[in-house]
Formats: sequence, C-alpha cells, structure tokens
Amino acid sequence: MNAASATRGLRAVGREARRIRITPRFRGRELTLLLVVSLALLAGNVSLGATRLIQAAQEAGQQPPADLLVLASPGLLTIYIAALFLVHAALVLAGRRTDQILLPTMGLLGGIGLLLMIRLPQDLAGRLGGLAQTQLLWLVIGLTIVAGLAVAVRNDVWLRRYKYTWAAVGVALLLATFVFGRDINGARLSLTIGPFSGQPSELLKVILVLFLAGYLSENRPLLVDESTKIGPFRLPPLPYLAPMAAMWAIALGIVIVQRDLGAALLFFAVFLLLLYVSTARFSFVVLGLVAFVVGAGLLYFVFDHVRTRVDIWVDPFADPNGAGYQVVQALHAFARGGLIGTGLGAGLPSVGGRPPIPALHTDFPFAALGEELGLVGILAVLGLYLVLVERGLRIASAAQDEFRAILAAGLSLVIGVQAFIIAAGNLKLIPLTGITLPFVSYGGSSLLANSLIVGMLIALSERTREPLPPPRPPGRFRRLLDRGAA
Amino acid sequence: MTGHERAGGSKPPGRFLSGQRSPDHARPVSGSAPSWAGRRIGIGAALGRVALVLALAFGGLALGAGYWQVVESQNLSTSGDDAAVIAAARNVLRGEIFDRDGVRLAWNKRDKNDEPYRVYADNSLSGVVGYASRQFGTAGLENAWNAQLSGVVSADPLRELTRKFRADPSDPESLKTTLVLQLQKAAARALGRNRGAIVMLNPRTGEILAMVSTPTYDASAIADPSTATATFEALKDDNRTPLLPRATQGLYPPGSSFKIVTSMAALSTGAITPSTTYANQPAAETKGWLIDGFRVRDGHHPQTDGKALDYREAIEASCNIYFAETAVRTGSEALTDYATRDGFGAALPFDLPTAVSQVTNGGGSLPGGFKDRVELANAGYGQAEVLVTPLQMALVAATIANDGTLMRPHLVLETTGKSGTTTVDPSAIGQVVAPGIAHEIGAAMRLAVNGDLGRYFTYGAALQSMVVAGKTGTAELGPKQEPHSWFIGFAPYDDPQVAIAVLVEHSGGGDVRASPIAGNLLRAWRNWANG
Repeated sequence: MNAASATRGLRAVGREARRIRITPRFRGRELTLLLVVSLALLAGNVSLGATRLIQAAQEAGQQPPADLLVLASPGLLTIYIAALFLVHAALVLAGRRTDQILLPTMGLLGGIGLLLMIRLPQDLAGRLGGLAQTQLLWLVIGLTIVAGLAVAVRNDVWLRRYKYTWAAVGVALLLATFVFGRDINGARLSLTIGPFSGQPSELLKVILVLFLAGYLSENRPLLVDESTKIGPFRLPPLPYLAPMAAMWAIALGIVIVQRDLGAALLFFAVFLLLLYVSTARFSFVVLGLVAFVVGAGLLYFVFDHVRTRVDIWVDPFADPNGAGYQVVQALHAFARGGLIGTGLGAGLPSVGGRPPIPALHTDFPFAALGEELGLVGILAVLGLYLVLVERGLRIASAAQDEFRAILAAGLSLVIGVQAFIIAAGNLKLIPLTGITLPFVSYGGSSLLANSLIVGMLIALSERTREPLPPPRPPGRFRRLLDRGAA
Repeated sequence: MTGHERAGGSKPPGRFLSGQRSPDHARPVSGSAPSWAGRRIGIGAALGRVALVLALAFGGLALGAGYWQVVESQNLSTSGDDAAVIAAARNVLRGEIFDRDGVRLAWNKRDKNDEPYRVYADNSLSGVVGYASRQFGTAGLENAWNAQLSGVVSADPLRELTRKFRADPSDPESLKTTLVLQLQKAAARALGRNRGAIVMLNPRTGEILAMVSTPTYDASAIADPSTATATFEALKDDNRTPLLPRATQGLYPPGSSFKIVTSMAALSTGAITPSTTYANQPAAETKGWLIDGFRVRDGHHPQTDGKALDYREAIEASCNIYFAETAVRTGSEALTDYATRDGFGAALPFDLPTAVSQVTNGGGSLPGGFKDRVELANAGYGQAEVLVTPLQMALVAATIANDGTLMRPHLVLETTGKSGTTTVDPSAIGQVVAPGIAHEIGAAMRLAVNGDLGRYFTYGAALQSMVVAGKTGTAELGPKQEPHSWFIGFAPYDDPQVAIAVLVEHSGGGDVRASPIAGNLLRAWRNWANG
C-alpha cells in the first residue's frame, strides 16, 4: 500500500506537469521536522518494546533481559515513516510553495495514535490483522489523500462554485444516515453501503465548512452592513437568518435523530466561529449562544440520552460502576499517569484481560495518552493541535480572498474544536460526547476526513501569483434571497 | 474592517465583494505587496480573536489535565475503585492485618481457581477492619489502606516516588494495627444483641485499642466468592443496618455526656469557675428554668437538699439546668469554638472516613450558627441539634485524660513490605484546653463515677481495682422512643491509660446500659494491660 501511495502521488505530479512547468523545490523545514518526528516515534516504539520485554519476563517469573533495545513492531512503524517521507518526496517534486509544518504535525499525531493502537489489545476492532494494522492502512490512505490534494488542487473554482450542491450532498448524507444508519451504543452514527461502512458526520464536517465558506464569503458585506439593530444587538438581515436557523435546526436534528451530541456541538461551534470570522460581529455570536442555550435546555428536558450525559458529567462518581463508569475510569487513568506517565505499555491495567475503558481506542485515546505519557505527554499533544490550528489560521490570514480565508480557517478550526470537545469530555470539563480525537483515534472515516482537511490546507497555503477566478454571477437561489432582502 | 468595509456597504451596487474585486482581478500582479491585500477586510483581526479563544480553551484543557494528573492524582489512583488497584487486588496476595500483639486479624485463602480471598479472625472486627471482596469492593481498614495492602502504593513517600522505576512495582504491605483482638471480642460480647458502638483508645497516643459496631457481620462470608452475593444482599437489606460502621459513621445526640464539652468552653473562657452556682437552680428543678419563653426541665435531684450546686456537684448529679445556664453564659461562639477544637464540625483526621459531629445545624443568627438562646441552652446538656459519633465522644474523654491535648486517633502502628517497615508516629492535633482545666473536669468526672451523688447514675462503671472517671448521657429522642444511653470516661484516674465511649441505641438511661458495659470493658482492659 506504501508503494501504491507513492506511485499515485507521482502520477498526480506527472499530470500536473503537462499543464504547468514544475521544478522540484527543496522543503528543508519539512524534512528536518519529519526526521524529528521519526526519531520520536522510534523512541516511543523502543520504550513500548522494552516495557513488553519486562512484562513478559515478569509473567514468566524471570529476570528481565539485559538488552531492552527492541522495537515493539518494526514493520508497522517502518511502513508509516516511509509513507510520511514519500508524501514529503511527492511535495518536493511538485515544487509548490506550500506549508511545511502541517505534514510533520499530522505525522506525529498519527504516529502517536498508531503507537497507541500497537499497544492496545489487537482484537478490540479492525478487520485486517488487528487494530494496529487496520489503523496503519487508513493512515497510509489518509497520507495518500494529503499528497494527492496538496499536489493536485490548484484551482478552487469547483469548491466555491457549487456551495449549494455541497449543502445538498451534506443534507443527503444526513438523511441517508437517518434512514439507513445503524445504531451503535444508542447513537446512529454509521452508514453502511455494500462492504463499506463509515461515519458520515466526519465527511459532513468538511462539507459543512465548504458550504459555510462559500455562503459566508459571498454574503459577508451584507451580513455586516445591513444588520437589523434591536437594542444593543445587531441581528443579521432577516432573510439571511434563514440559513443560520437551518444550521441550528440541523445541529438539533443530528442530536435528536442520530443522537450524536459531539458532531452537533462541533458543527454548531464551527458555524459560530466562522460567522464571527467572516462578520466580526460579536452580537451574532451572542445570538448563536442564546440559541445554543435554548436548544441545549430543550434537549435536556425532552431527551433522556441528553439528560443522562449531563447527569453523568455533573457527578460521574454517583454511579461509578454503572452510568459513570467510563468517565470515572478515564479520570482514574489521568490520575494514574500523573506528571510523567507510566510509559507506553505500562499503564491501562487490564481487569479480567480487558483494558479498563471499553471505548479506549475511539472515545478515550486522550485518557490513554494521559496515563501512559503523563501530563507532559498530553500537553505536547495539545500543543500539536494548536500548531495545526495556528498554521490553518495563518494560511487563512494570508489567503487571497474571503472564500479561501474562511475555508482555511474553518478547516483548521474543525480539527481544533473537535480535539477540544473530546479532550474536554475525557477530562470532565464538558459532558462526554462520542467524537474522535483527530488523527489519534482509531477509525477510517475520521482519519480520511481529517486527511482531506490537511491536504486542502496544504493546497490552500500556496503563495500563488495566479489570478483569481472570475466572479460568479448570482444564481437563481441567490436572486431569490436578494429579493427577500430588498 | 473600517473605512473600506463601510464604503463597500454604502454603495448598493457594490455590496457584493465581487463587485469590488473586479478592478484588481484584471490587473497583473506587480511589486512585493500582494495585490489582493486590500480586499481582506477585517478578517485578520477576527482570526486573531478566534485564535485567542481557542488558545484559552486549550489552556483550560491543560489546567483540567493538571487538576486530575497532579492535584487529584494521589487520591484517585489509590482509591479502591481504581483499575490498577482492582487488578492488583485480584492477583496479588493482600498484605495481612495484625492486632498490636501480633494476633492475625485478616489473612488470605485460595479458592478453587487458585485466586486468593480474604478471611477474618472474628465478627467483632467487622465495623473497623471491614472487608475486601472481589465482587463488592472494600470497606473499613481494607478500604482505607487498600492501596498499601494490595501493594499499589507504599506508605513511605520516598519508596512511592521510586515505585514507577522498579521492575516489580507491586509490593503488598502488611498492617500492624493498634487494635487488641481480645478487647474487640469483649466489646462485641458486652453489647450483645444491642445496637451500639464502643471505642477505646490510648489518650496519650491516640492509638485505638478497640472499635466495635453492633450488629456485627461475618466479613469472611462477604470475601468468600462462594457465599459473597447471598451474604452481602442479606446484609444490605437488613433493617438493623449491620453494614453501617456506627463508631465512625453513626450520628447520635450525646445527651449529658456533652456536658464535658460545655465544661471545656465555660471553664476555659472564664464564664464559670468551679465554684459558680446558680441561685435559681434548686427552684428550677421543680418548675423548670425559663429562658426566652422556653422552660428547660430537669429531674429533681433528691440527694441535694435543695442546695445550689457548684460545678463538680453539677457534673456529679448531671444537672441540666446548671449546664443550660452555663451554655447561655458561655455564649454560642465559645461553645462552637471549643467543640471545633476538639474535632467537631469537620471529618476527623482518621484512617476511616467519619461522619461530621455538630453542635448545631448552623445557619442561625447567633454566632456559631445557633438559631436562638433556647437552642443554645438545650445544646449545653447535649440535646437540641447536637449530633456526635461515638469516636468523637471517645476523643472528648481522651482530651480530658491527656491533660487537655487531643491526639490524632489512628488505627495503624506500622506497615511492613518487602522493602522495609514504616512506622506511624503519634501526633497531636492540638491543645484543646489548659491542663488545669482538664484536671478540674477530670476531677468532676471522677466524682460522677465514685462520688456519693454520682455513683447512683453510673452504676457499674466504678471498679475495685482502679479509679474510673466518666460521665453518662441519656439522649432523649422524644416520647415514642427509648433514649440512647452513653458513657464516656477514662482510667486509671491518676495516670490515664485508656479512654472509652460506649453508646447503646434505644436502651434507656446511661445508668441502665452503658455504664456497666464500660465498667466491664475497663476491667477487660486492665486484664489485658496486666498481661
């Protein structure tokens, strides 16, 4: 799969070469950082290997061997690091002046996730040889996507032109999940088509940002200048409230029908942040927050599953072996880790052969890292997400126009906000929601969607001198809206 | 986002950005400044603020992680619910528990799957040693010292620090407790079928010698996997609540035994002296003492010949009116203050979790939270809203016995593991009252057991072999229920070596049940002390 990614990348480069003259460009910073990332992953793998040797010796009642310098799973790690460098090579050959930080950052997060999957019991999930192999496959596919997008996407007309198409695709995905989705743990998160199954909400978040970037960039001046003033608050012009109300309703719908609190929270937060980015109107955010509080209150009183989540959050220790079990065990995991952690492989004591938290690989990898890497380790992981967001916002502020700016900001904020929601849920700062930790959690949909994001961000980061695409005449729907506003 | 933006908005045809874009769009890029720079209206500032918000949110995550991983780390990772503790407990042989003379109180057996389970020496230990069960977790000492017994953490902080770096981090430690098994057995026998609690401790060191709660239960049956479920379910549903460790978790009105606390506050603040008398007290015995419209009633003391009692006589005869008036004269603030010094108002610093003893419900307008002077007057002799644990009352007696200094009560003398022994040293909580005050109260308590007046109320507590000092209590619960009976005291009077609190639920006056039990146990203590 490794070689495949490389050839695919090269082929993409070849196609581009026919149209645009390409000179390979050395990416020194990316190369250095990738070397550092490789060393870090190697060190992690050796640490895991040593811990396993010691544990095996203990179980057999022997002294641990003197030579502990062993890789826990050299094959998987080699493939992953090779894939990282192949993507790097593809970017060098493509010769674009694009961001050099995003790939190593994603690479380290993905690598930490891979180490975690190697460390966990392999039969937790996964169709291939086990958890780690499946995760590696998705990581490599994700890296291929990054390379493909970063090399090939030069024109964003196809992105900006069809925003309502994107919205329609999103709504269709949502509806398909409503109708055909499968319930897992009381939440309707996954959609199965033939042999493939995935979580549409992961793809949906990318589509949402695409739509919002298109919609907000086009209506920005209007939203800013024609706001209705009510007392101290400025409201958007009323016809433009409609799509926002629709957003709110979609978020509610996701909670009600899919029971996916995490995705709803993510969508709504990103929506509000982008609304603020594009209008700089604080009152819109206040309005959105009021709508959020009203919606949340409504859900709390009407829906049992929402109330349960909130009650567990308020006091998980009230029922530590029942409803609050996972949250309490996650807090215990953080506590066991302490400042420096137990070391990879040495934490997460198994009770009856299972890790202490059932959904460790999907919902609680942050707690697992907290235990095995300690406070120091998770502060580093949080730092990595901040780096991703910082790069994204930097790309946004340097973007050529509003569409690209809002798109880049939205894509990076999706990752940052999602990481925050699940980390805060693990730490009992907010109610726990079942959402993945980007690049670290096990799962194909999440890895693919986040790879799409990184690939697009790298593509958007190019300092181009190309002229912008011509402005698009207002479409039919748009004319309808104009009439409404007039 | 200013002039440019406004301008854009004021021109109706130009309200779409596309309209403004067109001139730039046609122009080729030249020079170092990007031609599109002017079009990015205000987004930079908003992006900065969004970045700030996200950074703050991540800062919150870091603080949250710091809280759980540093501040709460020790608490959570050593609690009985911790997966590491549970995992260790399943496979590791727990450390054994011994009494202070080396008699085994708890040890391990193996079931048919070769997994270990716990066995206990005697039912009388149930209220203090508790149980460790694979299905139902841990209680008592087994819970409080679970981490050390299962070897997950060490009692020694230095060893604990290096634990993570050792090849075999698990090191179960055995506990040598302060308890005396034969006193435990004697106390459980003395309480018999009554519900109640007994606490005996060394007032000089705070070492608990006996701590019994009845009804007792068979902790071995909870630990044995083959009988655990049936036993535990039955105990849980038993309306006599055998699983409640009454000595530390039971809250009872103390009745007259609380007069010792009132004495501490009154004598220390100078509100009364040992010679203080109340002229209206003899008359009030018959018609009650009126305060703010409420009559404090008292039984008539037939042997006092209508004489106004001084402090020692008031303790000896257990005169409610004397202490009601004294409490009002002392004031609510001083009473609360001295009670707090002696351990009221907060969980006790003890191995086991304790219920919080109180002098008042709080929230009232008087200092200290009393509602009014009537509540204060009634609290003076241990009624109103005063609620105590038997352990707390044993500490009150121990404070008097130890010249006014309260020692931290503790249950463990030392822990021994592979890597050595850690000793728990006695430590003082603080000087509650001056030695002179403690001696005055002690002298009154000696009279209460041995004086011509007092011995009628404390029948059975006085011994031939040594001088006992003490105070009874009869906690009135209203007309429908039999009162709880109390005895708190210490012995020998000249050189106190043991302090005791006896509580018998719903058993009548202190003279009826608690005093003879205390005498019985002090005799047992003497036999033990003399070897």
